[in-house]
Amino acid sequence: MSHELNTADRPRWMGVGRSAEQDSHAAAAAAARAAVVGADPKLVLVFAAITHDPAAVQEGIREVVGEVPVLGCTTHGEIGPGGPLDGSVTVAVIGGTGFTVTSAIAQQVSGRQREAGVELARAVNRADRRPYRALLMLTDGMIRDQETILRGCYSVLGASVPLFGGAAADGWRMTGTYVMADGKVLTDAVAAVMIESDAPLAVAVRHGWRRLGTPMIVTGSENGRVLTLDDRPALDVYLERLGAPADAYTDVNAFVDFALPRPIGVQRRSGVEARNVSTEIDLAGRTIGGGSSIDLGGLTWVMEGDEESILAATDAACRDVREALDGREPIGMLTFSCAALRAVLGDEGIRKEGAHLEEAAAGVPFAGFYTYGEIARVRGIDGFHNQTLVVLALT
Amino acid sequence: MVEAVAALQIQQLVELLAVVSSLPDEAAAVVGAAERAAQALEAEVAVVIIDRHIAAAVGFPAEEVPEEELFAIADRQLDKLSVPDVGDCYAIAAGWAGAHPGHLVLARYDEGFSVEETNLIRGMARLLELTLTMHRTLAAEHEMRQRSERQAAENAELLASLQQRQRLLEHLSGIQRAISLRQSLPEILESVTDATQDLLGDEIVALWLREPGDPDRVRLAAWRGMREEVARRLAPVPLTEAGVAGEAILADGLVTNQGQPSTLTVDLVPGRQTIAMAAPVRESGVVTGALLVASCEPQRQFGDADTQTLRAFAEHVSLALTDAKTVDQMRQAYHDSLTGLATRGLFLERLTQQLSLAAREGVGLALLFFDLDHFKEVNDTLGHAAGDQLLMTIAHRVKEQLRGSDVAARFGGDEFAAMLWDVGAPGDGFAAAVADRLLAAIEAPVPLGERAVRVTASIGIAYANVGETEPGPLMRRADLAMYRAKHGGRGRAEVSAED
Repeated sequence: MSHELNTADRPRWMGVGRSAEQDSHAAAAAAARAAVVGADPKLVLVFAAITHDPAAVQEGIREVVGEVPVLGCTTHGEIGPGGPLDGSVTVAVIGGTGFTVTSAIAQQVSGRQREAGVELARAVNRADRRPYRALLMLTDGMIRDQETILRGCYSVLGASVPLFGGAAADGWRMTGTYVMADGKVLTDAVAAVMIESDAPLAVAVRHGWRRLGTPMIVTGSENGRVLTLDDRPALDVYLERLGAPADAYTDVNAFVDFALPRPIGVQRRSGVEARNVSTEIDLAGRTIGGGSSIDLGGLTWVMEGDEESILAATDAACRDVREALDGREPIGMLTFSCAALRAVLGDEGIRKEGAHLEEAAAGVPFAGFYTYGEIARVRGIDGFHNQTLVVLALT
Repeated sequence: MVEAVAALQIQQLVELLAVVSSLPDEAAAVVGAAERAAQALEAEVAVVIIDRHIAAAVGFPAEEVPEEELFAIADRQLDKLSVPDVGDCYAIAAGWAGAHPGHLVLARYDEGFSVEETNLIRGMARLLELTLTMHRTLAAEHEMRQRSERQAAENAELLASLQQRQRLLEHLSGIQRAISLRQSLPEILESVTDATQDLLGDEIVALWLREPGDPDRVRLAAWRGMREEVARRLAPVPLTEAGVAGEAILADGLVTNQGQPSTLTVDLVPGRQTIAMAAPVRESGVVTGALLVASCEPQRQFGDADTQTLRAFAEHVSLALTDAKTVDQMRQAYHDSLTGLATRGLFLERLTQQLSLAAREGVGLALLFFDLDHFKEVNDTLGHAAGDQLLMTIAHRVKEQLRGSDVAARFGGDEFAAMLWDVGAPGDGFAAAVADRLLAAIEAPVPLGERAVRVTASIGIAYANVGETEPGPLMRRADLAMYRAKHGGRGRAEVSAED
């Protein structure tokens, strides 16, 4: 599949190619060939299903593009023109004269998240820079406390550089995700690339969840887990508020099915942030939590969303990113959506999400994947999200 | 809707303290404080200045920290800060004096800082100052201990300092929890005076608050170590006669006095007070009182750590006062002030949400409408106070008959509604059984003064149809069913004929 764009009148370009072939090497090569739609490719991003061999994927790409930096990761579904796919290799290539890219890898990140963030930011922060920049990061989805990696980056780069990216996924197997960079297949690692451009870049983030009823106060928390809400076991309060079926109280799988589309909302100054509570389950202790912390005293809400609200958020994120570009037509977009949203949307819903993206893209190539966590820092210092859609637009 | 802004702020303050206290040294603590402050305020920039040096700066590229501009903001000569590639940001600073004066500076792009946020930042600066003093005390003691082998006494001091920090954290968390749990304001203020006394170890602690209608007078809101009978009966006194507390309010700053105690103090304090110190407290930014600590010990002096502790607790009182107002507004918006049940607005919101959930999940939902038969007669014969008491009792009984997933509301007058979740199909009779229980609970005699009154209710029941997501038709059916129950003889329930 190839999605070309007329690039003759533009110094910069982005192309997207996809292949559903089962052979990893062949699929990657085919996708890469389709994605190189201009001269002077600068950066290859690859999103491959967990069923593919990440080493063979990189070899296949290398065969087509030569010595261009290749960064990528495994997914819970690949996003691109033509709709979401499971089992594909989806490749985005950017190139042309107005880009500079500088990439770096941090390994053995767990336990030294902040240091790893500092390392990455220092490695990609050139003195002689182009006017517009964004740091794109692909992380192993199994790393906890990813916010701290971003803090490390922020301490070096400051507010001037938007951060964007996603946490690798493994098709919901939860056995291990992989980051690809420099021909290596990495775990417990982060690959980052500073994209510098002569033209503006924009990042946007949106979620499609609504608060239900009155707030609950976190009255007990420990190690990032919520022990009690309004002084009662958090898990029971959460399920009761949502009118959960009986088996969700006692059966792990039933709980996962129920909790996946119903995050907890944490009150922040500018709104409510969604926190997934379906990944670390504690039926015995009756506590709830996920990879990122929910603090004592916090105001929380049970939240729900549906196809309509999530698709509205998809549209809104695309609209935001275009508004931030002040009328400039993008040459391409990266669109990372949350793996947990698939539980709400279902296969039909994600096809609609794909159609909404396609409509918003209006002929502009786009690519991305379903993640285990999204990265978008636009304002303030926080940038790691759950259950959102994040978009980066290049011009 | 009204957001519980203040509850969020007090949470942020305690989190900040928890973060900076857990960090091993001063350098790590200032960075931690800057990041936490930036996160709480959603600010792009957070800077800690100590002794005219930038101790931590978050938000600027490395080696591009605009020191002069930051100092100018700390000196209040600037209120905007240009951040590279972001633009002009609103800037704010909160400072502290003492042996190592400093400032916490924040800058945010999208919006200026509100009064509540300014309070929060001031509170953060106080806690940071306090924590830094503790870190320095610990470091100094650690150094001394390493230099000499006079172990025993110094170990004890070190331990005491660590315990002090732990206790401060526990007390502040306790106060924050009290505020979060919506305990009554007097209870919260009591816990603040208790904690202040425990931590500073002085005999006397008092919280003076301005009279709402007469800000030139103050009254004792909470106290420790005073003559109970005098304190309890004390009428509001003019600010000028309220001693150190009055001075702190008028000066809007910390005041310490070792002079002759005022006549009022002599009456209130059971011993001879030798020294007193007061810090102002604010509600939504306006000085509304003072927190005072005093001692009868002839040798007692207040050091840096003492003044900082007092200021920190005074900031907590400020947040509690501001929060109480916010919570009040929030409750008014959502809950019926008489019965505590949901308002019509909240009920409709929940009903709309649960209907769509029920439609999606295939869960049965029933709506009950009911009013009390002949309630007007109770009101007319026994008076409105008795009527109110009756409504409160009935509301309590209704709540007792429902589960956590159900919602009860008072729509006004003697009209009530209940939403029952997961009721199965209409034929199962679940909602009818709940209605029967409600009827029995409502009909039990209600003691009103020396009399016992018996009222009945008429209940209309309507089940949501499969896939029904609009609350309007369901409410109409429940209303009609209630009408039929009334006309069928009262004291009974009717299921909507359309179900």
